[in-house]
Amino acid sequence: MKSIVKEDLNSFVDALIQDTGYEVHGVQAKGEKFVFAPLESSKDLRLDYDVTILPPKKYFLPQYEDMMNFKLNKEYSVTPQKVDKKQILIGVHPYDIVALEQTDKVYLDEQKDDFYEKRRKNTIIIGVDIQNVSDQSFAGSLGTHYVESGFDLMLTNIGKKYLITIGSKKGEDLLKKYAQTKDAKDTEVKEINKVRANTLNSYKKHVRITDADSWSKLLVSNYENSIWEEKSSKCLECSSCTMVCPTCFCYDVKDDVSLNLQDGSRVRTWDGCLLKDFTKVGSGEVFREDLKKRYRHRFFRKGNYLAERYGFIACVGCGRCSIACLPNIASPCDVINELTHFGGEGKKDEFFIKQKSHSDEKGTIHVPRKAIIKKKEKLTECETLFTLEFEDKKPLGHKPGQFVELSIFGVGEAPFGISSAPSTEPSFDVVVRKVGNLTSKLFTLKKGDSVGIRGPLGNGFDVEEFEDKHLIFVSGGTGMIPMRSLIEHCLDKKNRSKFKYVKILYGAKRPCDVLFQDKIAGWEKCEDVTCKLTVDTCQDGECWVGSVGLVTALFPKLHVDRIDPKNTKAVVIGPPVMFKFVIKCLQTIGIDDKDIFVSLERRMKCGVGKCGHCQINGVYCCKEGPVFNYAEIKNLPEAFE
Amino acid sequence: MSKPKVAFFDFASCEGCQLQIANLEEEVLDLINIVDVVSFREVMKEHVETYDIAFIEGSIMRPMDEERLKEIRNHAKILVALGACAAIGGVNKIRNQWDVDNVKKDVYGNAKIKDNKYFDVFKTKAVDEVVKVDFYIHGCPINRDEFKKVVISLVMGKTPEIPTYPVCVECKKNENVCLFELGKFCIGPITRAGCNAICPSNGSPCEGCRGILNEPQDECVQEILERYDLTIEELKNRCTMYNYGKEECKDE
Amino acid sequence: MSKDVSVNVHHVTRVEGHGNIVVDVKKGDIKQVQWQVPEAPRFFEAMLRGRHYDDLRPITSRICGICSIGHSLASLKATEDALDVSISAQSQILRRLAINGENMQSHILHIGYLVAPDLFGVGSVFPLVGSKHQDALLKIVQLHRLSNEMSDLICGRTTHPIRLVVGGFSMVPTEKQLLDMKQRLLDAVEPTKDVANAVLSVADKLPDFTRETEYIGLSSDEEYALYDGYVNSTDTGALKDYRNYKDFMQEYVVSQSTAKYAKHARKSYMVGALARYNLNSEQLHPLAKETAKLFGLKPVCYNPYMNTIAQIVEFVHNIEDSLMQIEKLLDHGMKDEKPVKVKKKTGRGVGIVEVPRGILVHEYDIKDALCTKANCIIPTNQNHANIQHDMEELVPQILDKPQKEIELTLEMLVRAYDPCISCSTHYLDVTFV
Repeated sequence: MKSIVKEDLNSFVDALIQDTGYEVHGVQAKGEKFVFAPLESSKDLRLDYDVTILPPKKYFLPQYEDMMNFKLNKEYSVTPQKVDKKQILIGVHPYDIVALEQTDKVYLDEQKDDFYEKRRKNTIIIGVDIQNVSDQSFAGSLGTHYVESGFDLMLTNIGKKYLITIGSKKGEDLLKKYAQTKDAKDTEVKEINKVRANTLNSYKKHVRITDADSWSKLLVSNYENSIWEEKSSKCLECSSCTMVCPTCFCYDVKDDVSLNLQDGSRVRTWDGCLLKDFTKVGSGEVFREDLKKRYRHRFFRKGNYLAERYGFIACVGCGRCSIACLPNIASPCDVINELTHFGGEGKKDEFFIKQKSHSDEKGTIHVPRKAIIKKKEKLTECETLFTLEFEDKKPLGHKPGQFVELSIFGVGEAPFGISSAPSTEPSFDVVVRKVGNLTSKLFTLKKGDSVGIRGPLGNGFDVEEFEDKHLIFVSGGTGMIPMRSLIEHCLDKKNRSKFKYVKILYGAKRPCDVLFQDKIAGWEKCEDVTCKLTVDTCQDGECWVGSVGLVTALFPKLHVDRIDPKNTKAVVIGPPVMFKFVIKCLQTIGIDDKDIFVSLERRMKCGVGKCGHCQINGVYCCKEGPVFNYAEIKNLPEAFE
Repeated sequence: MSKPKVAFFDFASCEGCQLQIANLEEEVLDLINIVDVVSFREVMKEHVETYDIAFIEGSIMRPMDEERLKEIRNHAKILVALGACAAIGGVNKIRNQWDVDNVKKDVYGNAKIKDNKYFDVFKTKAVDEVVKVDFYIHGCPINRDEFKKVVISLVMGKTPEIPTYPVCVECKKNENVCLFELGKFCIGPITRAGCNAICPSNGSPCEGCRGILNEPQDECVQEILERYDLTIEELKNRCTMYNYGKEECKDE
Repeated sequence: MSKDVSVNVHHVTRVEGHGNIVVDVKKGDIKQVQWQVPEAPRFFEAMLRGRHYDDLRPITSRICGICSIGHSLASLKATEDALDVSISAQSQILRRLAINGENMQSHILHIGYLVAPDLFGVGSVFPLVGSKHQDALLKIVQLHRLSNEMSDLICGRTTHPIRLVVGGFSMVPTEKQLLDMKQRLLDAVEPTKDVANAVLSVADKLPDFTRETEYIGLSSDEEYALYDGYVNSTDTGALKDYRNYKDFMQEYVVSQSTAKYAKHARKSYMVGALARYNLNSEQLHPLAKETAKLFGLKPVCYNPYMNTIAQIVEFVHNIEDSLMQIEKLLDHGMKDEKPVKVKKKTGRGVGIVEVPRGILVHEYDIKDALCTKANCIIPTNQNHANIQHDMEELVPQILDKPQKEIELTLEMLVRAYDPCISCSTHYLDVTFV
């Protein structure tokens, strides 16, 4: 521990600005408020601030970030951004340091965000103990008003001097080179505790329960509490709360093209779960439309979803959301305190599913790899099949049920279920339905054109679990697209003997909508395979030999005496409305919930559990799903609504 | 692929939105590289009758304007409303509060204008109240970056994506001091983003020129008025500048 | 000569707003010469009815996209006059910079985009790309960009300025930004000279037509007046009390125009750059005076086509003036001032400024913070009558030319005035309760 007099501290700061070659940012006044901004002189530094408008997360996850540049006049030309700027942040409060460490858990997991990682490595953090406490902050209750690690240097104002706690070698070297310090006396070191105790006493807001476990249980017990309706009736849906929050890091990605139609960049920008279209998918469906649910989701994410996943309360009590929220309904402190009146000891991991391992994305998580269109086949009026292969001919290495993110630079990126079995490698199939900009553009591409692919992503079917079992596959509409991957894998000559009988039930809207008719004919020829097809409606004159009616009507046609429910696994993939009814049918013939698997659709944007769009309560559809075991997910409120 | 033919038309407006195209400065040269400007009365003499994309600036105030607009709609494959006056009526709609004859008398007194078709004015209409509009470029004036984005999308055959979220998102990203904290009444929270929060970023409250997204609920309005010591009059004031006709607030 | 001439230009191009030129000559007998203004009236005074005084500036800004800064400043001056608000010295300088920026932007747009094509013999600026005049075009664009960026800096946005508020500015530029702008203005002098020379090379295409005319504009003892001054006339001299502006600007309605006409000492008068030049040329800065000499422009010039040349002269003057104003701000150091508070809530006020096209007046009656009466005199309004009378005198002089040339000469006449037609259609004395 070192001590430094104030004039020397100023000299140290000025030396950092002038001599290090680093970009120095520090807390400064902006009107009556404070912000982190480029520091030109130590005179502007305000270490006595209470809270900044935006947290330092903007230095690691910028508001607008050009992730990669591309050229449209060249065949597949993409350059990831260079992240090599070295920066020093001066004046970071302890709660913001805690928030950064929480973000690390998400962004530096096994699917690391390398841009974020580089920025973390290139940034030196000089923290400062809180000198003035913000009215809305309750960091004291959460214990985030001081930290013992997570910084390179920590400054504490003890009156005439500052004490400097050294947190890393980088910090130590900076001090040695640019600062005039003395060793701190023992009496001075004791001052730190006094300072922190003083700070603790200054807090006006206190939250009644302070550990992740309690927050988690309390929230789950109160999922249906009227508080969500009452408070959200005042909500403006402006998402200011998420923008200013140090522990919020959801983002959206868009492609920008210049006026010359040649240059462009893929831009990442902050997004917010309070916004109406946060969960909207290409076909136009919005999965969390109700404002009450969006409002509730934010609190659950902080106190339950992330708490269960990582073991911490994903809120550091900085109070920024309360300052930003015009009708003042954003404070987790207020909400939790109100809920404690209701109490409750609910099962806290109800909205969370244990993570499963799945194959890694090869390469960076953001930059797609070049794949060539090997074949393009029109299947129906709306759907076209594309067979793709990586330029380097490396196999995709996927499991049935996984998906890829397909890019066309200048237009965008979207998730597509993989439709072919792993055995057809190195090539793989996606089936595309024309609903928006990306899919429309894809329809204009030809054999030999290239697209970008990230994948394989997501949790696929654990086919080993299916071995020695009877299999029932129920598909509705476009559900057949990913189902085909599983079916063809099981029916593949090499694999067929591993499974018992296979029953395929498939319902489409009309005869012209039926996918893979030729393939189905081939499946039926395999040993012990029955295929039953149905359409919702059939016009006069349309050629159709299958049934007419909903897919549930096919169940009575199954020979019930031949079914061995205890040794059967069932898979259901189809539109949201279908699940309830089909699963009832399966339960009626005696199949256990734990033997039923579903594949759900959500807005999977990043595919690696970071952008936040695909969340089903606390579950990431792109990590724990899209394939789920029904028993695990059936009680998840948002899953089947 | 040939360049799309583009034409600009103006009705009752201040022509500030068309001026933004001239304000693209050097980028105008890039623009005319990717589209064929076949009609732009303000800067060129030439004019043709067939075009792919028609940009309409201004509101519709007279039968003769309606006729002209319908003819343009027939000639154009795509019609884009350019700016607040065309998209939502803008300031031109403020006078809809009063009876048209009353207003005419006030302005022109007893001058003989009764049978003059130039003065035959009805209540201001936005363009989509007369013909189908394919896309909107909001703002008073328009944001040049958004204009470019829309043109680029149309040339590339994409549907332009414009924000469906409020100005607060962009304002917070710019790290502005919230205008409510400075005692001002800003309707950014209910106004469509896409302008990069330019007015709050310059210390002036948002007045909703890009169109109000959704009505705030009564409880919400009540809470905010109380918290910041503001009046319902101020809210009504803001909401009737560019969005007259959309009833955003009821009397408490 | 017994010629038949029929000119019917519907919606003249390369002018702001909609105007028609109609000439009907049968066997050498002039039946009709009309400058028609069919612009849709937008009834701005109806928009101001009962509005809070803070709203008057944003609404009147929307009268015109090109002179929105001018309308904003006239509006603010009128409001501040009514409510006895005196702005700070710093705000005075910043507003002069704002008006300079607008003048520059409008003039260079007019010269380069609206008039030059006629002089270069093309339909618009677009064909100039790739031609031998491309260099001049790029410089015009560069200067247009600079003018806009200066207005952006001072006002937050050049069209419909955000920072201009009652009592001053909602935000001011930093010294660093002003230093940067100063350098850019210095760098603009050479390109401006090049553009002036390019226009000079084709200036002979400007018709040599004169008609003795009255010129009205602002004058000041301190400077070449744009932001502040007293109303002045080349015929009668100064107006004693600015509140009696109607004595100088007498408006009346005619049937071929939704915009009104105006007169004073004669049956019409002209306002704009040429008017200002004729009144105040002595007060121009040195380089501007040199530029006038270059074109042979001398007061009093009665050729309306020379209005465009007067604009070039003013553009140069504005650069010199802006440099001077920025120097003043840097000498004093920029202060983060808040707008002056408004205490009085009732009063009558008049605000007069010079916008690119001429003298502009806003008058408001404010009672308990709300506007009860509004009147505006728009520059182009004041020019319509003059355009009509110019046409009446010009047509007989050019009857022997080919039809196309007659059309072009008349269009060029209208363009020379740089009319802002959408601004001009609407105003009258209105009282509402």
